[in-house]
Amino acid sequence: MSALDKISNLDRRIIFLGVALAVIIPQFILVRLPVDVSEPVQKVYDLIETLQPGSVVMISIDYDPSGAPELYPAMLAVMRQCFARNLRVVAIGMWATGVPLGQRALNAVAVAEFKKEYGKDFVNFGFRPGGAVMLVNLGRNIHDVCRQDAYGTPVDDLPIMKDVRSAKDISFVITFSMGDPGSDQWIQYYHARYRGNLATAQTAIGAPKYYQYLQTGQLIGLIGGMKGAAEYERLMKRPDLATKGMGSQSIAHLLIIVLIAIGNVLYWIEKRKK
Amino acid sequence: MKRQLPLAIIFTMGVFTLVTNFIPPAADLNQMFRNWYMGIITFFTFLGTINLARLNAERVKDRTSDWYYSVILLVALATQLFLGFYKWSPDALREGSPFMYVYFNLQFPLESTMYSLLAFFMTSASFRAFRARNTEALVLLLAAVVVMLGRVPIGSSIWHGFPDVTEWIMSYPNLAAKRGIMIGIDLGLISMSLRMILGIERSYMQ
Repeated sequence: MSALDKISNLDRRIIFLGVALAVIIPQFILVRLPVDVSEPVQKVYDLIETLQPGSVVMISIDYDPSGAPELYPAMLAVMRQCFARNLRVVAIGMWATGVPLGQRALNAVAVAEFKKEYGKDFVNFGFRPGGAVMLVNLGRNIHDVCRQDAYGTPVDDLPIMKDVRSAKDISFVITFSMGDPGSDQWIQYYHARYRGNLATAQTAIGAPKYYQYLQTGQLIGLIGGMKGAAEYERLMKRPDLATKGMGSQSIAHLLIIVLIAIGNVLYWIEKRKK
Repeated sequence: MKRQLPLAIIFTMGVFTLVTNFIPPAADLNQMFRNWYMGIITFFTFLGTINLARLNAERVKDRTSDWYYSVILLVALATQLFLGFYKWSPDALREGSPFMYVYFNLQFPLESTMYSLLAFFMTSASFRAFRARNTEALVLLLAAVVVMLGRVPIGSSIWHGFPDVTEWIMSYPNLAAKRGIMIGIDLGLISMSLRMILGIERSYMQ
């Protein structure tokens, strides 16, 4: 077997090992890479900056642990900006297995960092089933859909919800979404009926679909993948999980490009031989 | 009757939901049906859990292939149900509870691992299958390489124009293709909905 054949038939376990090393090694080496802020991410940041203190931001947790590496850092960064600006945060989730991630983020940011009070400055309504129909009802009357929070406290006993009754009382909605139900339902059912400011954070694989909604103005902004989260961390001047992940992602992308190049060179050599 | 009743329900509810969207006085009735849907969909979660347990119990009973995975599923299901419903509820949803301990130390890493496996398979597949066999494939390949570089900070270190070119690709060629696909899907969806409402499409009953 020639050297070319050996490379062509490279054992995939060697490739797997290469990917593992490309991801793991940068985690232990401090690599400072410049993170450029894209326009869709900047727009989300700018919109939150324009909100008056006390305005209500609804955060929809529409992902599960598989999307956490990309979406959790973005959620932390957005929450930091909201609480730093003294906005009130109402959390809700359409994915049952994602709700604990929202609660963890609220504990880490609202309670530990900003000393905010549950029920007054933020609330977590937990998992709400029903997808599109739930969102249509939510915009009409939030108290109908969220009769109690994730811990069983009646909505009328939560001071934050006294003047928050329908979509018109919410200044900004952001959905951290990785599938269905998620951004599609927020755009097509909630925004189509109630308008308002809507943005989304997506996994990198899902983000390309939402550029069409940016162009039409249905979405104010878009935070795409871990890179989008790193951009947000840069805007917040607080590098965190996503910025740390940029080294691994950079090397992994380079590895893929190198492998594609090698694969194509081999393909052309074989083609010329024939 | 067994076939006609579901057809009648679909027709009535489909036409009703469609028509009441355009008749404001019927909005309350429409709202009532939406509330019913919320109740029904919640019940489906319960029904789904029962079905999942039943199906896997049968697999264990019949000793079908890989039946031991069903045992793991049943044990995990029973454990989480117990931890969720036991006396520490409703505090089960607070961080630090046994329910959340299992979620963050078992479910979280397992789900993350499953998703991250994609990176390994995609890299291997890109080496073996991503070939510039013709001009179209070459254009796609070059666009993919630019986007991959534009989406990571090292790309702008190599050439500062990569992020801008990436945004252009996403905002124009990508958008045009995605919009075309979406319009196609939505037209198909409308057509399928009409076929179901009118009883032409009946495969859902099989």
